[in-house]
Amino acid sequence: MLDTFYIAWRYVSFNKIKTATLVACVTLISFLPLSLQLLLEESERQLMSRAVSTPLVVGAKGSSLDLVMNTLYFDDEVPELITVAASNRVMDTDLALPIPVYARFQARGNPIVGTTLDYFDFRGLKIAQGRQLAVLGDCVLGAKVAETLGLEPGDSLVSSPETLFDLAGIYPLKMKVVGVLEKSHTSDDLAVFVDLKTAWVIQGLGHGHEDVTKLRDPTLVLKRTEKNVAATAKLYHHNEITEKNIDSFHFHGDLAQYPITAVIAVPHDDKSGTILRGRYLSQEETRQIVRPEDVIDGLLQNIFRIKNVLDAVISVVALATILAIILVFALSLRLRQREIQTVFKLGCRRATIARLLTAEIFIIVIMSGVFCGAMVFLVNQLSNDLVRMLFIR
Amino acid sequence: MEYWSNGKGLTSSMRMQNIISVSKGLAFVCFSVVTIASLMLFSTATADESEKLTIYVVNYPLQYFAERIAVEHARVVFPAPADVDPAYWMPDEKTISEYQRADLILLNGANYAKWVNKVSLPRFRMVNTSAAFKDRYIETAEILTHSHGAEGEHGHEALAFTTWIDFSLAAEQAEAIAKALSRTRPALRDTFQKNYEELKRELLKLDRDIKEVVSKEQSRVLVVSHPVYDYFARGYGLNIRSVHWEPDEIPTTAQMVELHTILKDHQAKWMIWEGEPAKEAVERLKTIGIQSVVFDPCGNAPNQGDFMSVMRQNIENLKEVFPQSRW
Repeated sequence: MLDTFYIAWRYVSFNKIKTATLVACVTLISFLPLSLQLLLEESERQLMSRAVSTPLVVGAKGSSLDLVMNTLYFDDEVPELITVAASNRVMDTDLALPIPVYARFQARGNPIVGTTLDYFDFRGLKIAQGRQLAVLGDCVLGAKVAETLGLEPGDSLVSSPETLFDLAGIYPLKMKVVGVLEKSHTSDDLAVFVDLKTAWVIQGLGHGHEDVTKLRDPTLVLKRTEKNVAATAKLYHHNEITEKNIDSFHFHGDLAQYPITAVIAVPHDDKSGTILRGRYLSQEETRQIVRPEDVIDGLLQNIFRIKNVLDAVISVVALATILAIILVFALSLRLRQREIQTVFKLGCRRATIARLLTAEIFIIVIMSGVFCGAMVFLVNQLSNDLVRMLFIR
Repeated sequence: MEYWSNGKGLTSSMRMQNIISVSKGLAFVCFSVVTIASLMLFSTATADESEKLTIYVVNYPLQYFAERIAVEHARVVFPAPADVDPAYWMPDEKTISEYQRADLILLNGANYAKWVNKVSLPRFRMVNTSAAFKDRYIETAEILTHSHGAEGEHGHEALAFTTWIDFSLAAEQAEAIAKALSRTRPALRDTFQKNYEELKRELLKLDRDIKEVVSKEQSRVLVVSHPVYDYFARGYGLNIRSVHWEPDEIPTTAQMVELHTILKDHQAKWMIWEGEPAKEAVERLKTIGIQSVVFDPCGNAPNQGDFMSVMRQNIENLKEVFPQSRW
């Protein structure tokens, strides 16, 4: 038996190119559906686990998918804005606890998530280094952001302007990195967390500047009347919040009218959740309340429909490849007719020749299996990151 | 084992005795295990129930109310130093993190404690004790607006925030505290409610007492040394005008001029001070026919006594201002 495998091995190693081609074909044909299945399972797990752990999301009426993807995975597509009043409304019902989320801005390609400290308790996020958000201008980094940007507590991170061409617009805010979160293997690893009020400062709704009523430099005052002092554009706005200038930072108007992208509502129990959902059913209602689980489930149904098409395509390609491999073997046998005849004339039985050919096929299949197994193992190891990179974020 | 293996030579009664004694031993072990486990469970539950709540507050009246309602079930902390005005105090990072870890954070509302808007606190554990009467907040007049950038004209809106010196509002704030405590420790709801009722009775008595003091001459005009008496004035129908003087400072000439301007159409004979005024300030006021009286809002912890005793003293002091009453 070993002799058969030895001769078969000598043959396949002598015909390197042919063997490599056959191994590559078999490997790819078996790897593609397996890895696709793995990635889809992982994406389903990731999407669903976060969706299931987020009971309800309140946002502006419109695409529920955009709302959920932005609130749960901090997707770039920002849903229509709502106000803090929507969060207060949830609080006032006494049916659920609201966690406002404002995921609109970015810092060096990473989403800045403005929220309250309750978010960290809700998601079970722990500080690995440094401390929790404390004052205006502080930011806490997700584990992956800190790793990628090489930042640690004490460093600073500048928010990115929304558009490059808004030269007269809001200046970026230099945020102070005060903490890094423990790795959670969720979208939180890829986010920069700030207090909701800091997000409003980034937007320019809250700002710090000299007291305009006490300005002495005449070039800073456009017009001064008994009731109003109008400052010129020269008035310097602080782009970093420090201990020295924090007192000058202020917000105008009613904070309840300030923007957020969504509210995560955590109902006290199932009954409260159902009652709360019922409150958003009216036709005149400008907000929507969604169960992320339902939205993501709908998304996955679509993904699986696409997967079925992909499976069919892969099956056809696999069939064609197998036929091609059979053809290769058949042609190879025809080419090796004289060689087989010689072996036969040397006294080998037909069964021995058949065993030799089977051993060659077996070696190719085993080699393909090993390569395929190694590649699937690699995909499995990297599936978490691959799914975030390819499908989620 | 050896005992059992030699069992062949034992009588059946001895065997029975052995079985009974082993069974007894097993029963005892089982009983002990069950008892210890039950005791452990019970003690854990009791520890959970009896664990003190940690409550952080932003001013002394809230500390007093919370302590009166929660009594031994909470540790109420008001970390502002004794010599600062808590409304304008800014806690350091360590204190902010203590606030963040508290089971409850009691806020006064009406923009009291400006620092609250500049720090991150857990919203679920924050209680705005004046939320129930936010439609009755008093906006302070004469806001100087300003404009810059694309925002247009805007003012840094100001709300009067010394809500608790209208004792009916103080009672509402105490009610909010009682409700928040009951939500946090439902098992102690009755205790909290009982303590709140008692506190409410005392606060409403203060309310009645002041009304009685001022009722005889409600039209009397007063000047107050600090703009913190808006709720007090509204609650008890007093006609006040405010200057901005510190009790430990001698009024400057400009401040005296400002007072004279006020007095032209507001002929007050008394000035209400937040704290004991400097002698020279009192004398200077006397020269223009104005007497001084202290009504301490008690925003920070008093050196002596407590909220109730300070307020009772305030009412006593007010009797000088309204002498026609029947004391």
